[in-house]
Amino acid sequence: MPSWQDFQPFLVVGLALGGVYALSGVGMIVLYRATGVLNLAFGAIGAMGALIAWQLINGGINEWLAYVVCVAFSAVLTLVYGVVFGPPLAARDPLVKAAATLGLALILLGAMDLLWTSNGGAVRSLTLATDSSTFTVSQIQINWTQVIALALGVVITVVTGAWLRYTKLGTAMRAVANDRQITATLGVPVRRVEAAAWLGCGVLSGLAGLLLADLVALDATTLTWLVISSLAAAVIARLRSIAVTLVAGIVIGVVESMLVPINSLTNYADMTPFVLAGVALLVVMFRRREITVSRGA
Amino acid sequence: MGIGEGGHGGQAPGAGQVAGVEEARDAGQALRPSSEGAARGPVFAISRVRPETWVRVAAVTAVLAFALFAVPVILSLYYVDAMTQVAIYSIVALGLGVLVGRVGLYSLGQAAVLALGAWTAARLLFATSLPFPVVLLAAGAITMVLGTVIGLPALRLSGLYLALITLMLAGAITVVLSTVNFPNGGHGFLGYNGNLIHIPPIRRPSLAGSDAAYYRYAVVVAALMFLLVLWHVRTRPGRAWAAIRQSEPAALAAGINTTRYKLWAWALASFVTGVAGGLLAGSAHFLYSIDFPIQNSITLLAVVLVAGAFSLWGAIVAGLLLQLLPALFQNWGVSSDWITILFGVGVLQVLTTAPRGLADQVPKDLRRLGRLLSGATRRAAPSRTGTT
Amino acid sequence: MTTKRVFRGAVGPIALVVACMVFAAWGSFGSSPSATATRRAPAISTSSCGPKAGVAATGSPIRLGVIVTDQAGTSFTDIPNMAEAYFNCVNANGGVKGHRIKYYIETEQTNPTQIAADAKQLVQTDHVVGIVGNTSIIECSVDNAYWKSLGMFIIDSGIASECYGSANSAAVNMGPRFSSDGAAQYVIAKGAKKIAFDQSNVPGTGYNVGGIVAITKKDRIPLSQLTENVPIQDADSVALKEVDAAGPNGAVVLNFTPPDALVILQAVQKLGLINRVKYWACSTPCNTDFLAKSLGSAWNGKLFVNAELLPPDAFNTKTMQLYKAILKKYGAAVSGGIGAFSEMGFTEAETAVHALNTVKGAYTIHSVNAAFVGTNFKTGMLCQVWKYGHYKTHIPNNADFTVTPKNGKMVLAQGCQKISGFDPLMAHYRTQAGTAPYGSGHGY
Repeated sequence: MPSWQDFQPFLVVGLALGGVYALSGVGMIVLYRATGVLNLAFGAIGAMGALIAWQLINGGINEWLAYVVCVAFSAVLTLVYGVVFGPPLAARDPLVKAAATLGLALILLGAMDLLWTSNGGAVRSLTLATDSSTFTVSQIQINWTQVIALALGVVITVVTGAWLRYTKLGTAMRAVANDRQITATLGVPVRRVEAAAWLGCGVLSGLAGLLLADLVALDATTLTWLVISSLAAAVIARLRSIAVTLVAGIVIGVVESMLVPINSLTNYADMTPFVLAGVALLVVMFRRREITVSRGA
Repeated sequence: MGIGEGGHGGQAPGAGQVAGVEEARDAGQALRPSSEGAARGPVFAISRVRPETWVRVAAVTAVLAFALFAVPVILSLYYVDAMTQVAIYSIVALGLGVLVGRVGLYSLGQAAVLALGAWTAARLLFATSLPFPVVLLAAGAITMVLGTVIGLPALRLSGLYLALITLMLAGAITVVLSTVNFPNGGHGFLGYNGNLIHIPPIRRPSLAGSDAAYYRYAVVVAALMFLLVLWHVRTRPGRAWAAIRQSEPAALAAGINTTRYKLWAWALASFVTGVAGGLLAGSAHFLYSIDFPIQNSITLLAVVLVAGAFSLWGAIVAGLLLQLLPALFQNWGVSSDWITILFGVGVLQVLTTAPRGLADQVPKDLRRLGRLLSGATRRAAPSRTGTT
Repeated sequence: MTTKRVFRGAVGPIALVVACMVFAAWGSFGSSPSATATRRAPAISTSSCGPKAGVAATGSPIRLGVIVTDQAGTSFTDIPNMAEAYFNCVNANGGVKGHRIKYYIETEQTNPTQIAADAKQLVQTDHVVGIVGNTSIIECSVDNAYWKSLGMFIIDSGIASECYGSANSAAVNMGPRFSSDGAAQYVIAKGAKKIAFDQSNVPGTGYNVGGIVAITKKDRIPLSQLTENVPIQDADSVALKEVDAAGPNGAVVLNFTPPDALVILQAVQKLGLINRVKYWACSTPCNTDFLAKSLGSAWNGKLFVNAELLPPDAFNTKTMQLYKAILKKYGAAVSGGIGAFSEMGFTEAETAVHALNTVKGAYTIHSVNAAFVGTNFKTGMLCQVWKYGHYKTHIPNNADFTVTPKNGKMVLAQGCQKISGFDPLMAHYRTQAGTAPYGSGHGY
């Protein structure tokens, strides 16, 4: 069993990854609550943004500009999808809406593999500008990308929470999430509110895409299906509370990372998001049953 | 074969409105044993069989005969191998179709269930000398038990959450499989020996060793699985499922034990998928965990939606899309990425315009085309009266 | 109404794909990796690949086939693409006694049924008479019985154990096991006191590490065996784990495909772990210019890569020049450019053509494969004469180089060195082939 000293660097790594999980979770929950769509193409959109950023950087464009393009692209792509496919599916079950985003994910995955093939020994990697700036805390080297990942996760959650509560658009979004019909009747421009939610989700997917491309790998398939791990945090929050998403995301990231130095469990570390989400769902389910029973039915 | 007189067709869950209480009550009444009136006796009372059923039976027999006898002769061995996979994945699509199309339960983890079935079959084939059909049944049974055990708590969740938990489970199973690997003739519970230089192939049934013979074997097993599901659909479970899909509260109100029938659907889907896994083990000879990535589960759902989750023909179309199309594309030198894109576009198209999928849409379109044509011919002929 | 909806449904995705293609096309100007191939003009003309310079071969085709893995994250298509480039060169310069070579490439996605089907396709539909260039994670296992039944002797770039443990397969490379042996024995010779071996968790991990297990046992050095699920999701944790396992006096030996090796090494660099162990070593897939360029000068003298074939930056022999010239002229499809993969393709094609030129009479499965199995060819790309022979196992390439990245290029760290005979499979092969299994106290 490794010592606490041995665990520390893994803690750092886990916090960074957890920050991105939280960021992705928040992005998905805000959209889900405003539109009823669980955007399973979140990872694919971010991945494509990251690949475009890579392409631009490779072509000589300034990297910060490339990051902006990535985020902008992801935002626009998500918005376009929301505007085109949101209305026809608006009255359908959330399940159907989520399945539709799977369609988008598959299209993007195929397109990414066509445009950026993985033939031969050609390998792509995205190294964010913040990777090279490092500092040391008690013998552990931390780079700014990791700090940003965690910080973004926290900041986005707090800002989003505040924004939802205190701004006009945020309140409108909460109203739409609560009851779309009545909100529309009250004169709130529902479509515009939903568009804002789509846009916001897109921005976050671009940010998450960049960070994951740096922290994990710049690979279309990996990043696309990493959304399932990101989803785990949102699932634990029952697709409702962004505060819980933040905590869940960080816990998942940290646990996943801390399992790695334990020899007998190291290969199962990747399972962490799924196991934690599964357990959380089961707890929810059992709690519900207790509630029903206690009502004396 | 548009099976489903028992309820409204494969509308995606929740799409229809609640109005089905009356229907649910009727279905519920039909489910109560020995009530008054027409007993829904055995399906095959010849005297009450309609002519269209005979047409359907003839069509199915023709297709089956073609598949069994003509296909291995006409096609090269490359395509016969592809068709074996078509048969296997048709069974998997069949299982998923029961869940999605009949009961309205979206499972995003069927590929993982297939992997479990394949694992079980491989383990048994290496560890025992049981005859192949027995191994298939055992793999199906064990997978069914596992599916039921998993399904029991999960079924209390609804719709999206159920889909998500199946996705999480599939993710977990994928990771476990890549760590423990598939049996390769080694000893111990896992049956995996990483040091082997010469890995023994998984055996096939004694009378179906060659590729063409194994293809026929797979087709026969697939036909049996289809019959099994057809039997379910035509009798009490089918009607219960229709009621549940129409409106679960209404079905409950009508006295249907929704948990039991949902679990039954899980069990059936797991069973057939487990059998398909056994067939896969025999066809592949060697199993690797990289062949069961999480993406397969997603693609499977996408294709089942596109091909038609409700109709049994849809399952066959799904099998063709999943296995024949890539083989064709590879032969033509077209990248399989286009297939992924095609499936994605298909899902979007289907969900926004044709909820019942290709298998339902194509005959509809053909019928519409037929009506158009006959309408045109009628207009061309001079009308006797003044009315049009 | 439905048509409108369908159209609307299709417009979005199509517009998307078009937009992205425009983007990518614009961005790809000046970013193709092979554009950075050698700048100095090759001193040798490509026409020396064939017997009659500039004369296109018009005779009946000799059909050869290949099965190669091509899927997201693991693609070896550069190997057959380079072999095809070589064959095109030969066809343009006289062919094989006037016959042109027709090369059928079948790709697969690590699906056994597909691989078996590909083999049938090649033989029964495409009527190939020989198999040259197979590179697949599992093909050797899946098709071995089939090739044996047909009497085919495959010339491949092996990965799976069956490629080296079969009478019907001989590889131009060493494969993960022996290449890892080479990497490990190099760092042990340099003074590493502990080995942490990490590899991707694809089929055959036990086989891959088996040689190092035997070598470290003989050298009495502790060994830590790790595996990672690929594609790697958490490179930072992997890097930390490896460093912990090796310790400050130890060495980390990696066996991954280039993408995964790169993310690990970059994570190591990012976390400042390069100097936390004594040495880093890697099996052959790390031997690419791209990796050398991606890793900075912080790695000078710390990373040692086992090179199964002649290091392109360290040698300028006639064969190397021909290789680079053919790559430049005919190798547009070889996206990885100069590197181990294209070298393997070149060597396999070169060997095959050499063997085909010895065939007298018609080119049938029997005659062609008799020529293949009788090959005894001094290729300029390997340390030794490449011999097939009627042995039960084949490891004809069993001595190779070590390179190290320095200022963006892979430079030679050690010349031809035999792989240790302490690896029992290596000893067994050498005994069959009639060479000494052990040499010095380190088994070579």
